Amino acid sequence: MLQTLEGIQNGLRLSVTTPLEEVEAAAASEDVLVLEFEAFRDGRGFSLASVLRERGYAGRLIAAGKVLPDQARHLRRSGFDAVELQPGADAAAWARMDQAFSAAYQPATEAAPTIWQRRRAASNDRDLEALAERLNREVEGKSAPEIVRAALDPALGLRVGTISSFGAESAALLHIIAKERSETPVVFLETGQHFLQTLSYRTQLTKALGLSDVRLVTPDAGEKATLDVRDDLWKTDADACCDLRKVRPLARATAGFNAIITGRKRYQASTRAALKPFEVLDGVLRINPLADWDSEDVEAWLVEHDLPRHPLVEQGYLSIGCWPCTRAVEDGEDARAGRWSGMDKVECGIHLGKRQAAA
Amino acid sequence: MYRYDEFDHALVRERVEEFSDQVARRASGALTEDEFKPLRLMNGVYLQLHAYMLRVAVPYGTMSSRQMRKLGHIARTYDKGYGHFTTRTNIQYNWPALTDLPAILRDLAEVEMHAIQTSGNCIRNTTTDVFAGAADDEIEDPRPWCEIIRQWSTIHPEFSFLPRKFKIAVVGAEKDRAAIRTHDVGLQIVRAADGGTAFRVFVGGGQGRLPHIAQEIAAAVPAADLLAYLTAILRAWNLLGRRDNIHKARIKILVASIGIDAFREEVDRHYATLRREDLKIPADELVRIQAYFAPPPFEDLPKASAPFDRALLADPDFARFARNNVRRHRQAGYASVVISLKPIGGVPGDITADQMDVAADLAERYSFDEIRAAYEQNLVLPHVKLDDVPALWRALHEAGLATANADLVTDVIACPGLDYCSLANARSIPVAQALSTRLADLDYQEKLGPVRINMSGCINACGHHHVGHIGVLGVDRKGEEYYQITVGGSPDEQAALGDIVGKSLPSEEVAPAIQRTLDRYLEIRTDGERFIDTVRRVGPDPFRDAIYETLDAANA
Repeated sequence: MLQTLEGIQNGLRLSVTTPLEEVEAAAASEDVLVLEFEAFRDGRGFSLASVLRERGYAGRLIAAGKVLPDQARHLRRSGFDAVELQPGADAAAWARMDQAFSAAYQPATEAAPTIWQRRRAASNDRDLEALAERLNREVEGKSAPEIVRAALDPALGLRVGTISSFGAESAALLHIIAKERSETPVVFLETGQHFLQTLSYRTQLTKALGLSDVRLVTPDAGEKATLDVRDDLWKTDADACCDLRKVRPLARATAGFNAIITGRKRYQASTRAALKPFEVLDGVLRINPLADWDSEDVEAWLVEHDLPRHPLVEQGYLSIGCWPCTRAVEDGEDARAGRWSGMDKVECGIHLGKRQAAA
Repeated sequence: MYRYDEFDHALVRERVEEFSDQVARRASGALTEDEFKPLRLMNGVYLQLHAYMLRVAVPYGTMSSRQMRKLGHIARTYDKGYGHFTTRTNIQYNWPALTDLPAILRDLAEVEMHAIQTSGNCIRNTTTDVFAGAADDEIEDPRPWCEIIRQWSTIHPEFSFLPRKFKIAVVGAEKDRAAIRTHDVGLQIVRAADGGTAFRVFVGGGQGRLPHIAQEIAAAVPAADLLAYLTAILRAWNLLGRRDNIHKARIKILVASIGIDAFREEVDRHYATLRREDLKIPADELVRIQAYFAPPPFEDLPKASAPFDRALLADPDFARFARNNVRRHRQAGYASVVISLKPIGGVPGDITADQMDVAADLAERYSFDEIRAAYEQNLVLPHVKLDDVPALWRALHEAGLATANADLVTDVIACPGLDYCSLANARSIPVAQALSTRLADLDYQEKLGPVRINMSGCINACGHHHVGHIGVLGVDRKGEEYYQITVGGSPDEQAALGDIVGKSLPSEEVAPAIQRTLDRYLEIRTDGERFIDTVRRVGPDPFRDAIYETLDAANA
């Protein structure tokens, strides 16, 4: 708070009409500087104080002369420590006006956090669990596009991205997201072991939907050189392979997001039976707009919006991952039966979170 | 569009309380009128000829339907049922009672609006291209940057008591639709060598008694350093600008007197010692703000629209509206629609409360709930499906808002003049009305093509007469209202000040003289040549002759 001082203060007195160079030269050898305003309209004093502080003046800075209580916070934020009150000035008005605002947008000489800094802190500290709970209530009975819209509401201040395998059913969610905000970042895990058809489908779909920020994420070269130099880790340890190619790169790629939209659906796997539209995993909000969709819903959406199909679907691939761990399924077989077929594995791990992965 | 969070709400609320405290201290005598005046001005409250005037900020001209309805409500409840849009995309109420002001400000706060810094010697409302986010030639939407400047400049501790007012305008395209070179600082978004966003910066533009076109001070300031660079400019001027003469206090005078190169050195010196890191725009704040301005969910539509094309053929009045008031859009199947506030014989920029409600309803129905105020004192619905334009036109027509004259000769920009303003020497509204009535024939107007006429009631140039293709300035000649004519001014990327053609005319002579000017243009133009291009080619002489020929004949 700006100190209010009665009576004439000691210290070198300079008018705010003094050229900056002279004020600076004088300040170099002074512990107390009194800047005198000849008219309250003459705002040079605010710039003089700001420049002195920015150039390292650490002494005491006192405003004097014709200044108004309404300028208290301007003086304080420009670097003045105190004001020398005119005879008869109302110290209460000075105190009141100094505290008229609880925050300021722009950074200034004073150290109090700005609105911009406080916004940032608020968004980091936000209780995501409470947010997820509230959003789950709000979107109850709402459609997938409405869930996506809720997640992208700028008022939430979320940094939202999505992950997509550009697989058999991916087009539906990407289409919904693209309609709401086509510049939403889309992370694609480039494991190096995708089917060629997946790669060409990715290009085709990106263009068709107008997605402007598709990010390809590759495994860390150093890690790969240690763990899987011959690209055959999947034969001996599929979990380690998923970890190297999906879980770790995804963690790096999504470090900037605090909310991720996924295409997971309850029906897909036993681990997903209780899936809600919004949930929190490792401090990140997961948004699952398609949680209550089944394969017919996806099919209906793809047909209705005439979306391009993954080329492998007609060959019987209903859930598509990397080529070594994906096979086509027979009629009547579960769609995900073709993933890690013959292994005791239903998830690659990117949707499990740290706690489950360690168990 | 931007929406307030808890911090924005709190700041506007606290501002209303602060102003109430100031009003109370004025009433008790604790503040003198001299001390109170700049404080009320910084809250948009003027004392005019007949009453107080309240100028409400429309930040970068963007409004929601809800906000527009509230503006209508204020016009109806506290004023005489109308408001006036200005060249700086604000709205003015001419008749509010002083005692109603706190209630009006609270009403505004409800819809995230205010009157902060719409006047006074501080950084004013930042303006931009009315087609921002819709134009097909845009490098980047300038509105997020305008919002950042709005926040940064609001109640700025260092820059609230400047030598004079300070106006910033931003455009995101090469084409300048916001007259940036007539501003204290004009910003044009450009691509930096590394592909990032940067700003080409112009400084020292301004109109008034001593008009100047802004000069380039920096070719490409990186976007993250924008606020640091603006701080350096304002600081240099705040310390060096004149404070002894109100007419010589604007930054344009400083830049002109020491020269752009010396001023640049001064700015660079401050820039070098600024704590630039503090002033860097936080990346997450930029992302947060940009998210508010994401394009609305457009439909995938073909370029052509059958309903639109059918209406063109079926109705010549619609076809005329489509030719003159409908603008290209970046999204196939969409257009921006200009709602002219220049009905023939009307008051430029005025709109009734009922019309505000209609505009709000139509924006909600046809333009993603968004409505813009234009530099030209018109409104724009930025994102209208071509399919919907015929229905929109019919609705505008019923409300008296379908005048098909956008950018034509009767789309006159004019200040309120002596009918309202205590500074004016002459009236501008009746002269604009007489001109509009005289040139009402739309066939004639279309034959003329784009001609911009600007009128100011005094040398302060609120009607931007210096940069009108034809400018009209009201002057006081021994107690009589006279009007000085200029030709050849231009507010765009080829900004120029008009040439004064000769001695001033009495008010009844203005419209006939301008018509003779336009007729002369029709005689001497080459194929497809716009009025301003003809003036640039042949100079002002033929027009001077046309303006004074009958007068000279009468005097002969």
